Amino acid sequence: MKIKIKKILKGKKGNFSLDINISTKDNTVITIFGKSGSGKTTLLRAIAGLLQPDKGYIEVDGKVWFDSSKNINLPPQKRKVGFVFQDYALFPNMTVEENIAFGMEKKDTSFLEYLLELVSLEELRDRKPHTLSGGQKQRVALARALARKPDILLLDEPLSALDYETRKGLQDELLKIHREFGLTTVIVSHDFSEVFRLSEFVFVIDKGKVIKKGKPEEIFIQERISGKVKFSGTVLSIEEDETVFIVSVLIGNNVVKVIADPEEVEGLKKGDNVIVATKAFSPFILKV
Amino acid sequence: MNKIAGKIKYIESSDSISLLEIDTEIGGMCAVVVETSETAGYLKIGREVYVLFKEIEVSIGKNISGMLSMRNKIPCTVKEIKKGKVLTRLILKCRSKTIKSVITTKSANEMNVNVGDEVIAFIKTNEITLMEKSDG
Repeated sequence: MKIKIKKILKGKKGNFSLDINISTKDNTVITIFGKSGSGKTTLLRAIAGLLQPDKGYIEVDGKVWFDSSKNINLPPQKRKVGFVFQDYALFPNMTVEENIAFGMEKKDTSFLEYLLELVSLEELRDRKPHTLSGGQKQRVALARALARKPDILLLDEPLSALDYETRKGLQDELLKIHREFGLTTVIVSHDFSEVFRLSEFVFVIDKGKVIKKGKPEEIFIQERISGKVKFSGTVLSIEEDETVFIVSVLIGNNVVKVIADPEEVEGLKKGDNVIVATKAFSPFILKV
Repeated sequence: MNKIAGKIKYIESSDSISLLEIDTEIGGMCAVVVETSETAGYLKIGREVYVLFKEIEVSIGKNISGMLSMRNKIPCTVKEIKKGKVLTRLILKCRSKTIKSVITTKSANEMNVNVGDEVIAFIKTNEITLMEKSDG
């Protein structure tokens, strides 16, 4: 996928200019990371053809979708895009099955069955969206996006409205879908652990420009460290015990306790994302 | 965590493990890491790194004689002592820097560690982690 676009957006607070240059191998999962208002969603809309760049070039899966120098600009319906939004955007009057089938270019019953099975919604096929949980709704939205047989999957903060457990389940689902379809996938995310879990490459965007790019561990671990055992996690609690502190960190589903020095916990608070690292010499391996 | 700046002086590697000597602000230190110059680009002679070690890995010796396998032996002066029921935290002065050590309060009492004592801080090479200096 190659994207090199410029777009000036006029807003109430002045002009916002998007100047993005992203190039990545096809069939990989990348994350666009950045604060709100940095231009992440605008970029997804430009890829989908919902917004026309002033100039530039968009190529997906070897096909040119936009090239201002050659006056090429495929309309959204000609771009094979699967788009999933944070708020699911399902049709309320249609059943699960109808919502998914709506995404298809032509009727394909066996593919529909396959998709229902892939996202484990066979049992709920006749339900209307309002009877579903957030996680189930997002699985319908994913299946509908896949129903188009897209060349690229665009996920705009797809899991941010969901609770931790559901989010984790859907992350597994997304990984499964990626293994199955090998689609080029662009995820917009705020969630640090999600970026680590799902994506191979991260582009950090600020004020419409890419300010950093690299593998998640290169982007988020500022200093390289020779420790071989490294996990990313979230601080659950920090307790003082006489001379030392005990920091509880949630890593995946496990709570790990780490002894820390008073100076180490300075500025550290509950909810912070951290790296827990130790040397390869320290851990024991016990067969279970 | 103790974090001391230094420069790599010497590297000796097997297939995947390296022993490094680092000139630091508190003297020469040794580290063993499961990395080589090939797997970690910053492991090169002359590169600036941080030497990291947990305070709990710093042992203390007083009036030591005989031989010890620990390669990192740093002469220090006890600057501060904070005793808990189980653990005692020491702040040690070494040249212009300080390092911290956490030992059992039982040991601190048996050794009669006092502020102003001359002690040796011991750290095993495998407990030392190296961190690339991001600005160098």
